[in-house]
Amino acid sequence: MKTTVIGAYPKISDEHQDLRRALHRHDRGELDAEGLSGVLDESTRWAIGELDWVGVDVINDGQLRWDDMLAPFARAWEGCDRGPLERFYDNNTYFRQPVITGPIATDGKTLVRDFEFARTVARGQLKAAVCGPLTFATLAEDRHYRSLWDRTLAVADAIASEIRGLGAAGATLVDVEEPALVAHPEHFAIARAAIERLAAAGVPLALQTYFFPADPLLDALTAFPVAQIGIDVRSRETHVLDKLSTLRQTVVLGIVDARNTRVETEGELVRTIEAALKRIPAEYLWLAPTTGLEYLPHDVAVQKLRSLVTAARAAGGVKA
Amino acid sequence: MSDQVLLTTTVGSFGKPDYLQKARNANARGKLGEAELTELERRATEEWVRRQERLDLDILVDGEMYRGDMVAYFAERLEGFRLGGLVRSYGNRYYHKPIIASPVRRPKPMTVDWFRFTQSLTDRPVKGMLTGPYTLLDWSYNEAYRTRRDAALALAEVVRQEAEDLQAAGARYIQIDEPAIHARPEEIDIAIEAMGVVTQNLRAKTISHICYGDFAAIYPKVLDLPVDQLDLAMANYGYRWLELFDRDRFTKELAIGIVDVHSHQTESVATAAEGIRRGLRYVSKERLLPHPDCGLKTRTVEESEEKCRVVVEATKVVRSELARQATPAKTAR
Repeated sequence: MKTTVIGAYPKISDEHQDLRRALHRHDRGELDAEGLSGVLDESTRWAIGELDWVGVDVINDGQLRWDDMLAPFARAWEGCDRGPLERFYDNNTYFRQPVITGPIATDGKTLVRDFEFARTVARGQLKAAVCGPLTFATLAEDRHYRSLWDRTLAVADAIASEIRGLGAAGATLVDVEEPALVAHPEHFAIARAAIERLAAAGVPLALQTYFFPADPLLDALTAFPVAQIGIDVRSRETHVLDKLSTLRQTVVLGIVDARNTRVETEGELVRTIEAALKRIPAEYLWLAPTTGLEYLPHDVAVQKLRSLVTAARAAGGVKA
Repeated sequence: MSDQVLLTTTVGSFGKPDYLQKARNANARGKLGEAELTELERRATEEWVRRQERLDLDILVDGEMYRGDMVAYFAERLEGFRLGGLVRSYGNRYYHKPIIASPVRRPKPMTVDWFRFTQSLTDRPVKGMLTGPYTLLDWSYNEAYRTRRDAALALAEVVRQEAEDLQAAGARYIQIDEPAIHARPEEIDIAIEAMGVVTQNLRAKTISHICYGDFAAIYPKVLDLPVDQLDLAMANYGYRWLELFDRDRFTKELAIGIVDVHSHQTESVATAAEGIRRGLRYVSKERLLPHPDCGLKTRTVEESEEKCRVVVEATKVVRSELARQATPAKTAR
């Protein structure tokens, strides 16, 4: 039983606002791209340091360079522009809508440099992350492909290329963040075809679902060719916890609500973990926040991680 | 003004002048007192009233010189809320997301003095500006109420008190913004029920601004929102929401956004005028109100002014077209 995080970590705290100031200075022309990149690296070091220090077993780089989940790809890929601001699902958080203007193409190295940097910093196990193809395809404005199928598979091919790049750089696990799958369960067949293309890249994948209940998809999820499936059992009304034995993959159980400030008690979390352990063996259970911690103020994010790690240890799966 | 058509207005906030921005920062660092800050906020408000008159806008706003964020402003004044740490909204923009920590209560009016002050400066009508209960809920963390409906209805009660006080102070237009209304389309009944609590006793014209989200997901159900006028961002969306009105008739007054607010460049007068003409295919000239897509607080004073100028110029272009078409009727009168 391991603890992990998914998605973006808070980029600043009320006390640590270097990145925010650097971006302002960059906007005003007072800091060049190289200077900004240096601050981004320092901030990444800070985030990774905290994740390690709290004791999370498998971490990511905090995605401090990501404006939103689609931005790194929309910026780097040929055939993609960045359009207007749009609300990101039911959050008071906004993203730039990618505009697909032609065939999508990538050299597969979009995330390699940042992954290699994070590897030099992280003490524990580091995983990578990519945007889910269905999520990108359903949130983008498409002026090129003719259908959601075509668009999603084209995005999947580009993401598969990014995953190959990450694999070559040493990544042994890649999160595929796919909220669209649970937001639009009716598209699961498209998502599955897309994930099959990602899996062909040969790097173990963790399919992370969040924001919406996974109940309607639980049976369908068993057929996805991934090593892990992330499921939120805390932030919405759901009965997934009782049916976890349906899944054949390792389950990344979202047990601390990354979108509400009320910090879960150790007792609450231990009860949830024990309920899960009745359905699946400890080797197949990882524990995580329900989604990226960036939806919380930094101080609460840290408290939530502490609760997560403490509860995991108390539940007996992790040796302190 | 009563026989004027295509009344122009704005969504509520304007860019703050540099001296006010600096003063707010100084106040936050404890280097400037509340009284001094308030004096500068009043000065900036008066400047914006004069600018709006000069621009020839018809229905004015106070410009929200005294507000940072549309939820935090109320959260800071209501019992039961506390402000959390910084959370990112987009890009490099952060805000203190409020936490509903215990049952909410309104100790005293929150916006009425600003309304009175602003209205005292002008003969043109000034809108009372509130954030709606569903948005107050959705943009806060809820630790206090068992369900989201419970929280929305409790918030509706304090917004109702404020709206009725604005009406008693003379407000003829009261805007209760619900930009979060489509955050969870399955909860629109909660938003409608909560708005019903707010507007049940109001005789003033009621307006609700909605922006940045999947409007299609809540249309036509949103027509049940108990307000007289919906205020919608359209330019940013290439007017695609208008197509929804082909299928289900739009039944309210429509304040139509004809310039995008998130770009430094402003559309040409011709482009903005075309937006008004598109709106006129669905809503009569008496019930269509041109304005910028959204609040202008992220823009500078000059950019805010330029966007409003384009709205007014475009409106005048279309008004004169309408007057030419109506000439025979006018002669008859």
